[in-house]
Amino acid sequence: MGSTAPGTSSGHAARDRRAGWWMVVPTLVAILGLSVFPLLYSLSLSFQRRDLQHPNDDQFVGLANYAAGLLDARVHTAMFNTILLVVVGIALQLLIGLGLALVVVDELRGRRFFIPLLMLPVMMTPVVAALGWRLLWDSQYGAVNHFLAFILRRDVDIVWLTQRWTALFAVLVTDVWQWTPFMFLILLAGLASLNPEHYEAAALDGAGPWQQFWAITLPGLAPVIAVAVIFRTMDAFKIFDQIFMLTQGQPGTSTETISWYIYQVGYKFFNMGYASAVSYLLLIFLSIIGTIYVSRFLREEHL
Amino acid sequence: MARKDDWLMRRTMAAAQARLHRRQLLQGAAGAMALPLATRLAPAQAAPFSNLSNPAAIAAAQRVLQETGDSAEAAVAAAQQYSGVTLNYLSEAGLMAEGPKVFSGPKWQELTGINVTVVDKPFPELFPTMVQEHIAGTGALDVMDVVPAWMADVVTQGIVEPLQPYIDKYMNPADLEDFHPVYRNLMNYSGNIYGLFDDGDTFLLYYRRDLFDNPDYQAEFEEKFSRPLAPPETWEQYDEVQSFFTEKGGGEFWGGASQRNPLQVYHWWMIEFRVKGGKFFDEETMDATLDSQAGIDTLNRMLSSNSSMPPGVEEWDFTKVFEGWMDGRLAMVGGTWPPFGRFSERYGADTVQMEWLPPSQVADNVSYAPLPGGYSSLASGFMLCVSADSANKDAAYLFAQWMNSPTISLERVMLPYTLRDPFRLSHYSSDAYRALWANAGEYLDMLQTQTDTALLDIIMPGSQEYHTVIEQMWGAAQGGTAPEQAAADANAAFNAITDRIGRDAQRTAYQEYLKLGNVYPETPA
Repeated sequence: MGSTAPGTSSGHAARDRRAGWWMVVPTLVAILGLSVFPLLYSLSLSFQRRDLQHPNDDQFVGLANYAAGLLDARVHTAMFNTILLVVVGIALQLLIGLGLALVVVDELRGRRFFIPLLMLPVMMTPVVAALGWRLLWDSQYGAVNHFLAFILRRDVDIVWLTQRWTALFAVLVTDVWQWTPFMFLILLAGLASLNPEHYEAAALDGAGPWQQFWAITLPGLAPVIAVAVIFRTMDAFKIFDQIFMLTQGQPGTSTETISWYIYQVGYKFFNMGYASAVSYLLLIFLSIIGTIYVSRFLREEHL
Repeated sequence: MARKDDWLMRRTMAAAQARLHRRQLLQGAAGAMALPLATRLAPAQAAPFSNLSNPAAIAAAQRVLQETGDSAEAAVAAAQQYSGVTLNYLSEAGLMAEGPKVFSGPKWQELTGINVTVVDKPFPELFPTMVQEHIAGTGALDVMDVVPAWMADVVTQGIVEPLQPYIDKYMNPADLEDFHPVYRNLMNYSGNIYGLFDDGDTFLLYYRRDLFDNPDYQAEFEEKFSRPLAPPETWEQYDEVQSFFTEKGGGEFWGGASQRNPLQVYHWWMIEFRVKGGKFFDEETMDATLDSQAGIDTLNRMLSSNSSMPPGVEEWDFTKVFEGWMDGRLAMVGGTWPPFGRFSERYGADTVQMEWLPPSQVADNVSYAPLPGGYSSLASGFMLCVSADSANKDAAYLFAQWMNSPTISLERVMLPYTLRDPFRLSHYSSDAYRALWANAGEYLDMLQTQTDTALLDIIMPGSQEYHTVIEQMWGAAQGGTAPEQAAADANAAFNAITDRIGRDAQRTAYQEYLKLGNVYPETPA
């Protein structure tokens, strides 16, 4: 480690490096403090019995919280509900979003008015959207029952939010309503970027609209769809607001999602050790799904 | 040990005085000189004073107590020593918070120069907020509305300040005798006072006099059930009366309704469960006993009762029941909170806060009765507590004492726009309150007598979790799970909570709870 004479080029380089480090330090501290530290701290919590309401009972319990999480029937139900809402919800958002994008991508009349209108739901705070839908699902005054009564021409008094499957259906519809515009917008951008010459060539070869869709549109959109789906999947696994506003996990605990359950355990009842362990189980699960999904996507892209 | 305590006290006193402004110190000296005289003459049996109190404040309070015996005036005189301080008051969002925002906060500021900031949170967030602020040690809260059911939690976690030393310094002890005895009991936990009871939430049965007094209905009912048409005395009778009126209503009105939305429904289940002989725990093993015959019978009876309530009752909360009642669509309300009495008469409808109050189709026709089974529920309620983390404990306590004093609290329970209800003996006998509407006296008498035997919520560590489990049990049963299974699941969930907190600790806490009285019908206070 020889000293470098001031004024030499290597001296400048050393100074630049030091200055560079000093510039990076605030960001580094912020990342360490706000991201890495909480992550490590919650990891350490997950190995402890840590009930904030009974601080004198703290103790290291190894993997006991993880084992309990894997065996917890409420975790199973919550995971099932979450996966159900994610899979069915995203499939519907994709289909409806794609359909709307296909309609709008051509020179549809009133498109300038239609697109911002379609975007409104996704711009709303989820908890506000869910609150609005709670009024719509109301059995007595809600528009949903009134609409069904109008269609069926008889009284409809379905109490949507007090039975498990109708409540999950209500959550699903609310989520699809809010997030379909996100899919729509991304797919619309994808469609707009497709080369029109491909369609002209296909038309000259006599390909019909369906053939063009399957042979040109869908393959061309595949990367966009993949990105949109992974974004939505990661987000949808955190579904909370709709449960908070619509069902609170009721009836019983049958509509709990995993985020709702973690919130209940951690922030309502302050059992932080167990809540951390269940969070890490979710993280592990999502990492596996994400890794499989991305590697498969990259492989297909490579091919 | 005693010498060490003395040394500690002197050190703390010195430190506190070192922080005082010179003027305050002079006032303090004057107060200290006046103190022996004041305490000798005071009606209160003063206990040793808290080390950090401003002696001038104590002297001022004692002087006023000597002259007038009025705890409100004493609190004001003492609190003037803390002028300029800001107090944060945690209160339930909505109408409840309107009291401190519109009435008590500004008035206290005017009288003492102490500012009050209302931290309002929805009911489910109140308890987590006080726990979070305590764990983080923020000192962000000074005065808190605490539900008695949380008392075991907030005391064992050290969230709230013991109040006896402050009471000894600032309050006329006669005021303690003015609390309804059941509510006064709730202010104590493990032998110490931790809160000033501040909101009497005793359930009553509300019914329509015009329907019950109808001669045709009376004759028909008597013929059908071989007894006069009258407010039901058991829950089975309640269903009969409810079905009778539902049949008469023909879709225009129904016999009755109770809250069936799972949130808060634990009040209804717990009251009936205990009237039917149910117990929450086995005293020896601390195993939960929700799935006893009483528990299952209660679930079954509540489920069958739904069939003669309005369609969609499964999601009815307080607001929906209230709306149905005011609209004249219900002959009875099978137990609910006291504001129903004054709201039914549209008391305060001319205030800005109560503009939302719907027209009342039942005004002048409402009567009050004990809940079926003969036992009411003390459903939630609030106590004023001082945060143990407050930097201004004396000022916080004084604000609580002033609000809670007989004179000011009477004004507060008569504010039309809050949900605060009578809790002092002087409230029940108040001529002013009794004159608010034609049968307000009947209402107050019924509230007082029903409070005598009102059964308490679970007051043990983990009470919020236990209550949530009961809500989940009801939601599950109402959602189609067999009552036996729902009760068994709830039992398992209760046991899990007990095991997590510790069976021995919970056994001790259960004994403390039983000591409060009014836990089960056979153990009155």
